[in-house]
Amino acid sequence: MTIVDWFFVIFAAVTLVGAYRVVISEKIMHAALWLGLTFAGVAAIFFLLGADFLAAAQLLIYVGAITTIIIFGIMLSSLEDLRGKFGNTLWQRISAQFSSPRRGAFALIAAGGLVVSLIALILRGSWPSARPEGLAVVDTPSLIGDAMFNRFVIPFEIASVVLLVALIGAIALAAKDEAPAANGEEQPK
Amino acid sequence: MAELAWIIPLLPFISFLIIALFGHKTPGNGGKVGIAALLASFVLSLAVFVDVLGGGSAAGRFEWARVGQVSVQMGYQVDALAATMLVVVTLVSLLVHIYSLGYMHGDARYKRYYSILSLFTGSMLGLVLADNFLMLFIFWELIGLCSYLLIGHWYEKREVGHAAMKAFLTTRVGDVALLIGIFLLFLHTATFSFAGVEAQVAAGQLQGAALAAAAILVFAGAVGKSAQFPLHTWLPDAMAGPTPVSALIHAATLVAAGVYLVLRSYGIFAASETALLTVAWIGGITALFAATIAVAMTDIKKVLAYSTVSQLGFMVTALGVGGYTAAFFHLVTHAVFKALLFLASGSVIHGTGTQEMGQMGGLRSKMPVTFWTWLIGALALAGVYPLAGFWSKDEILLSAHDGGFTALYWILVIASTLTAFYIGRATLLTFFGKPRDKKVYEHAHESPSTMTIPMILLAALAVVVGFANSPHAGYWFSHFVYFDHPHEASSSSFVILWATLAWVVGLGAAYLLYGKSADDGWAKRLGLGGVWRVLSNKYYVDELYNGVFVRGTVALSRATGEFDKEVVDGAVNGIGALFRSGSGLLRRAQTGLVQAYALTLFLAVVLGLVIFAIGG
Amino acid sequence: MTISLPVILAVSAVMFGFGVYGALTLRNAIRILMCVELILNSVNINLVAFSRYLADPAQGQIFTIFVMTVAAAEAAVGLAIILMIARQRSHIDIERINLLKW
Repeated sequence: MTIVDWFFVIFAAVTLVGAYRVVISEKIMHAALWLGLTFAGVAAIFFLLGADFLAAAQLLIYVGAITTIIIFGIMLSSLEDLRGKFGNTLWQRISAQFSSPRRGAFALIAAGGLVVSLIALILRGSWPSARPEGLAVVDTPSLIGDAMFNRFVIPFEIASVVLLVALIGAIALAAKDEAPAANGEEQPK
Repeated sequence: MAELAWIIPLLPFISFLIIALFGHKTPGNGGKVGIAALLASFVLSLAVFVDVLGGGSAAGRFEWARVGQVSVQMGYQVDALAATMLVVVTLVSLLVHIYSLGYMHGDARYKRYYSILSLFTGSMLGLVLADNFLMLFIFWELIGLCSYLLIGHWYEKREVGHAAMKAFLTTRVGDVALLIGIFLLFLHTATFSFAGVEAQVAAGQLQGAALAAAAILVFAGAVGKSAQFPLHTWLPDAMAGPTPVSALIHAATLVAAGVYLVLRSYGIFAASETALLTVAWIGGITALFAATIAVAMTDIKKVLAYSTVSQLGFMVTALGVGGYTAAFFHLVTHAVFKALLFLASGSVIHGTGTQEMGQMGGLRSKMPVTFWTWLIGALALAGVYPLAGFWSKDEILLSAHDGGFTALYWILVIASTLTAFYIGRATLLTFFGKPRDKKVYEHAHESPSTMTIPMILLAALAVVVGFANSPHAGYWFSHFVYFDHPHEASSSSFVILWATLAWVVGLGAAYLLYGKSADDGWAKRLGLGGVWRVLSNKYYVDELYNGVFVRGTVALSRATGEFDKEVVDGAVNGIGALFRSGSGLLRRAQTGLVQAYALTLFLAVVLGLVIFAIGG
Repeated sequence: MTISLPVILAVSAVMFGFGVYGALTLRNAIRILMCVELILNSVNINLVAFSRYLADPAQGQIFTIFVMTVAAAEAAVGLAIILMIARQRSHIDIERINLLKW
């Protein structure tokens, strides 16, 4: 167990705990913050796997943008949920976030079964036992850039279009209606 | 000349088409065309008859259809039997055509009447000339159809329609049996022609139970058409049709077709004891049974109808006891005097407007021609020497006696006595005594000459035709029409004695009971009231058939209808209901909760993975 | 333990499991969105790990970039929709949004 391994264990633990807390949180704001932590943990794992460019991108995009947008969404929508006022005990308050226990049981079977079978398959597989050559310095950005603009240029362009469409679409969807109501009371905000 | 025999049925067929299609344009509105065609046919038949007398004969055939190996032929054959029958049929039909000019004058469906009459005659002649079972069956069906159409001539009256249907359906039962018999014969002999079948039977190709079965089935067809017991019920009801129709079809020709069928195919009967016995006994039972009913009938046409059934029974019995010539001879004489009797009764009905003898009486002074022709016919029927009936009936009795069929002989003797009795009763009730209904008597008048001339002609024939097979003529007829070999006629004084006794006793009893008063009450006075009631109700056979067959069939069809409605439709509707309830059940899966759908998805994925993990 | 491919894959599998469970059972729409992000991230980890151990780095990482792109776009549009629903109904409880039922 080298130090790299220890780092990996720590970061993996952080990620998993964060993921767990995202799901099991009483208050949704906490869940959002735990999500941010999870994203950071994932970025760390990326670093350990030598994908430095990707790790930076992860931090920028996920932790920076997506967590922010989610917090904005929370603030703009779930007014009641911020307080988490159902029930008295912690258990009650948490379980209020979930749908019926029956669905929970089935979902547990689904998710648990998924995980178990995946792990079983993983363990059964024959993987190369070679350890990666540490944090070898590889010029990742130029590698990525080179592949991106030569081999994957079309998906790149299409991804750009997707982002544009999403941008316009989100604005179009979320914009408030400008038209006044029949009685003329509603003002454009 | 005999080679041209095939034209004989063709002429009435053509006249049928002409009357049916252009009737209103022809002179006499159809009647004259029919008479013209029939006159031509009759003359041609006489020519053929003369030719055959001189030893001529003719036959011809052509292939009509081919089914695999089997070649179905259509053809005609002219021998003594056919030639005689041709003359009889064309003559009676011609006379009926002429008679109908007067009887059906002013009828609304005059054209239809004459066209179907022509069609019938053509079909009957075709049947006579047919040389194979299949062709005979085709014409057999055609005459059945024409009988239905003619009986139902005045179909506005419900009971007329019912009578026509009854006739058709009852003979149908026989027709089905006949068809099965024909097929059975074909199965064993691979041919439909009479000559072919006869040859194969004589060679022993077909014998024993199979032969008896086929023969009896063929005879069953005759039972239907010739109104033998138990398929006799349609003939009395058929009297609902116009009287000339009754004369032609239900006295002389159609009902004789059954006897003719047996005569033509006698080869299969002669070789089977069982078949002959069956034929003889059915004939004998019918002869007696119908004669007893005729005694108690009050409708003049019904008396004649049951008389016809009884006389046909005589012919059938003769066939069964081996009296081929006797049976055919009686067929010819019966055609003559029964047609005469029917025409005369038609004249009475036309003149008085009623068919019930209870309303008649003393008509002999008002309708003399009718009276005298009727009387000749009646005496011929009774078998009074030297009229036609005596000779032919005597032949039959002789055949029975000589064949050793003692029981049947005595049955026939009793039936002969009853024959004389009932026809005597009818004569006395109609023409003698005091008129029982004043208005009817006032109204009664003699019929026009178009009606009386045919009657006179037939009466003359009834007197002379009997001599064709009398000892005075050397039993000429027996040497003309015979099966296998001419029957050397013997004369038995025993038979002649009892035959004479029969009509003497019969007529005498009739005179005793009805000579002075037209009163049917004598039966009750003698304590036979119950018997009389049974006879008047024709042994309740109709009621029995109605209860068993008619109601049974109706119940069965009702049950089948219910089955179709409940089970079959129910199944179809049930499938629809099944789908509806099924979908009603399944749509509850659409909960509207996306997470539930996703859950299902993931469970399926997990399942797939687990299987992969375990199996892979 | 030494970081070898199976371990990394197991970690991402567990995270995936969390994400699936949450997506299937949580009531708040935004929480569900967060769980979907978890799922996508676990996939990203997988891709990068594979690209590191099995294939050349560029390929797997580029795939990951595209996944991130699409995830961002989807998060944006998803939140826009959730905001619209919130505006209409003043709640975003998935359990109560079931108009398309039988």
